[in-house]
Amino acid sequence: MPHSSPREARGRRPRRPGRAARAALVLLAAGSGTRVGADTNKVLLPLAGRRVLTWSLTWTGGLATVVDTVVVIRPSDRDRVVEALSREAPGRPVRVVTGGPTRHSSELAALTALSPQIEAGAVDVVVVHDAARPLAGRRLFADVIDAAHVLGGALPVLPQPGLLPVNGGAPPVESLVTVQTPQAFRALPLLEAYRAAAREGFDGTDTAVCIQRFGGLPVRGLPGTADNIKITFPEDLFLAERILAAHQWHMP
Amino acid sequence: MTRAVLTCSACGVEGEHELRYAGRLLHSTCCLACGHEVRHEPHDLRIAYVHDLAHRVATKPGRLVRRARRRPASFWWDLPGAVLRQPRKLAGELRTLFRD
Repeated sequence: MPHSSPREARGRRPRRPGRAARAALVLLAAGSGTRVGADTNKVLLPLAGRRVLTWSLTWTGGLATVVDTVVVIRPSDRDRVVEALSREAPGRPVRVVTGGPTRHSSELAALTALSPQIEAGAVDVVVVHDAARPLAGRRLFADVIDAAHVLGGALPVLPQPGLLPVNGGAPPVESLVTVQTPQAFRALPLLEAYRAAAREGFDGTDTAVCIQRFGGLPVRGLPGTADNIKITFPEDLFLAERILAAHQWHMP
Repeated sequence: MTRAVLTCSACGVEGEHELRYAGRLLHSTCCLACGHEVRHEPHDLRIAYVHDLAHRVATKPGRLVRRARRRPASFWWDLPGAVLRQPRKLAGELRTLFRD
């Protein structure tokens, strides 16, 4: 994943669009989309007074650049998601869309829902975020949206120093990073990339992979944060609760 | 008790976990595949719980007003039941906290 755009690499300053971005937030909350039953989707777990999922809406709620929001869910979660949104994000217009069996198909569902606004030019940037990352923070959302508006695409990366091969494997390349969300891209090229991917039956692991293959947009890596954890292990819930408590006890 | 699919750090299985909360704070989790339990240190949790309870009490009037404005009909309809449930809810939270 390139850290800077080809234009920057040639030493020229990227052109800054004249006005602020109008971004649509896509919040991926469908998980694998294959599980059914009595278990609670982890994005609907309580975390410091809110659901894991609605923390991301809290961070983006104060951003003037975010003009539209789509939450992608699995069908069995619809009632619980609608109830959580009405309680924890009252007054915020949020569209709830049913996702597919993979992350890629969920993103396509969200982009299809947004396509009228994108094609009408009402949305310049789409910012895709994994709802299982409740601690992304307002600044990171603002930064990736601004960078995508100027450059084409932006995503947070975190350096992973000290990695070593095992069992005689090849030594790691000089610098490795892990990629986080939110990932933001110019809206129209992103929509076209997903349409092209659908025509070819391509199913990417994340948004950047698809835009790299079909979109041709320069993508910048911005500094991610260690706090921006993805809730995967039980310990992550305890850690996220601690981080939120350390920042403030402002809960709904 | 809430159940959710998480990845167990002990057995590595992505499977159902039972989660127990004390109020708004996570008390403990238990992997249903291997029984591995992760829990808050009890003393720390009690301090955090008292802090959070004070915050819940202080912000309750504001939250009630917001809900009443947003959905007046369902708010007034649900209010008696919600009030009656509070002592039992609080007792359950304290039981969870002091069972350790």
